[in-house]
Amino acid sequence: MATIDSPGVTVTRTGEQGAFGGELLTVNFGPHHPSTHGVLRLIVDLDGEQIKRVQPVIGYLHTGIEKQMEALRWQQGVVVTDRHDYLSPPINNLAYALAVEKLMGVEVPPRARALRVIMSELTRLSSHLVWMGTSGLELGAMSMLMYCFREREQIMDLNEEISGFRMHTSYIRPGGVFADATPRFLEMLDQFVREMPGHIDEYEDLLTMNPIWRARTIGIGRLPAEDAKVLGATGPMLRGSGVAWDLRKSMPYSGYESYDFEVAVSNDCDCYGRYLVRIKEMREAVKILRQALDGLPEGPVNVDDRKMLPPPREELETSMEAVIHHFKLFTEGYTVPAGDAYVAVESGRGENGCYIVSDGTHKPRRVKFRSASFVNLQALERMALNHMVADMIAIIGTADAVLGDVDR
Amino acid sequence: MIADALVIEKGVTGRDQWATVSAEHIREVLSALKADGYRLLVFLTCVDHLIDASPEFPARFEIVYQLRDLEKLAEIRVRTFIGGESPRIDSVHDIFPPANWEERETYDMFGIVFTNHPGLTRILMPDDWVGHPLRRDYPVGGEVVEFSEEHQTWQTAPDEA
Repeated sequence: MATIDSPGVTVTRTGEQGAFGGELLTVNFGPHHPSTHGVLRLIVDLDGEQIKRVQPVIGYLHTGIEKQMEALRWQQGVVVTDRHDYLSPPINNLAYALAVEKLMGVEVPPRARALRVIMSELTRLSSHLVWMGTSGLELGAMSMLMYCFREREQIMDLNEEISGFRMHTSYIRPGGVFADATPRFLEMLDQFVREMPGHIDEYEDLLTMNPIWRARTIGIGRLPAEDAKVLGATGPMLRGSGVAWDLRKSMPYSGYESYDFEVAVSNDCDCYGRYLVRIKEMREAVKILRQALDGLPEGPVNVDDRKMLPPPREELETSMEAVIHHFKLFTEGYTVPAGDAYVAVESGRGENGCYIVSDGTHKPRRVKFRSASFVNLQALERMALNHMVADMIAIIGTADAVLGDVDR
Repeated sequence: MIADALVIEKGVTGRDQWATVSAEHIREVLSALKADGYRLLVFLTCVDHLIDASPEFPARFEIVYQLRDLEKLAEIRVRTFIGGESPRIDSVHDIFPPANWEERETYDMFGIVFTNHPGLTRILMPDDWVGHPLRRDYPVGGEVVEFSEEHQTWQTAPDEA
C-alpha cells in the first residue's frame, strides 16, 4: 500500500506494476477539492487513468456533536442536531425529537405531525436541489445551479416564515414544534406547491436527455443491488440500485402511512439511476406536501404537558403554577426516563437515525447519530473501481455525502 | 435466533427489542442473527457507563449493535459489556461490512480495541491525537491551539500515539 509520507506530497510511486505497462501512482484528492462537497480527502491509486484503490480520509469537519449533546439538557440538544447534516436540519430534529418522545412515551397532536411532514418534505426538496445544482455544475451543466438555487431560495423563505431561521431552523422539538404555521406560510406553501412541478419539468428538460449529462452518468459508478445491501447503503443509493426500501413506507413514522406516495426506484444501478430516483423523489415530495397542506388538521401543535413545554406567555401573568413550571423548565429542564431508544427517519441521503441513552436525569448519557452519509461513503471504493479518474467526480456527486454528516 | 444459552438478559424498552450477550460470544451471536435474516447492521456504537455502578451495567463500556431484518421489518439491539483498562472485543467487519468504519470510529472515540480488524486506526480525530474524546472522563474544555507551546505537552508523536 502506498503511503503519503510527508505533508504536501500529492503523488507517490507505488512500485507496483499496472496492467498497461506503467507503474501504479498514488494521487491525493482533496480535502479542498471543489467537487468533494465539503472536505473529503481521497487517496486514490491509479493505473494510468484507471482507479484501482480508493481510501477516503475523513474527519476534517468533525465538530464533536455527540460529546456536546452530553453537556446539554434534552431541550437544548435540538439546536445542535441541526448542524450535523446541514442540508436537512428539520429531518435531524425529527429523528432526535422522535427518539426523546419514544423514551418518554409522548404522542404529539395530529397538527404537529402534519407540520413535521411538511417540514421534512420541504427539506428533502431543498437537499435534492442543492445536490442537483452542485452535481450539475461539476459535470458541465452550469445553469443547473442557478435554477436549483432559485427554488431553494423559496424554501429558505418558507423556513424563515415558519421558524424565523433560514437554515438551522430547530423547528421540530421534543413534544411538538416551535410554533404554529402562520397564514402567510400556508399561502406561500400553497403557491410553492403549485409552481414546483413545473420547475421540476424544467430541470428534467435540462438534464434527463442532455447528451453530456447522460454520457457522464450512464454506466458510471455501478453498484449492484446485492452489493448495496451488503455495504449497508440506504436512501437514493439503495433505491438507485433497484431496492424499494424507504423508511417512510416500510417503517412509517410521524403519520407517513396516511399519505399516498410512491417509492422512487431505478434499476439502472448507476449514477444516472440515482439521478432519476432523486427527480422522482422530488415529485413525490410535492405530492406529499399537497396532501399535507390540504388535510392539515386543526388543533394544538404541542403536547399539553407543562412538565415538558413552557406555559403560554399570557398564563405567566396570572398563574403562580405557570411561573414555577416556567422557572423549573428553564433552569433544570425536564427528565427523560432511564433507558435507550433508537429512531430512524428517511432523510434526503438515507437512513438518518438517532440513538439516545438516558440515565433518568435532565441530560442525555449518550446520543449517537447514525448518519447515512457515513455508511454510504464506504461504498465509494466499490463504485469507483476501474473507472476513469474524471468519473470520480460523478460518483462522489451522486453518492451525495454531506461531510458534516459524515464527521459529525 | 440466538441460542438461549448465550443470552444473559433480554427485554423490550420503548418498543425496541434487545438482548444482552457476553462479549466472547459476540461473533457467534451476530452470525446466527444474520443467518436468521437480520442482514443489515444499522449502527454499532459504545456507551460509557463510567460512574454508574448499578447492577444493570456490569462493566464500564456497553457495545451496542442494532440489526434489522429488511423482510420481516424487525429490529433487535444486541448489547454486550466489556471493561478493563484496555477493553477488547472481536471485530465483526467480515460478518457486516459496514462495521469496518463504525468500529474504527468506536476505537477512535472510546478506545475499544476490535481484534482482527483490518486497519484499526483513528478515523475522525487526527492520527496524533491523544485520548478518546467520547469517554466520560475525557476533559471537556478549550482545545489547545495548534503549534503553541502547550500543544507540545499535549500531543505525542504519531508513532507513539
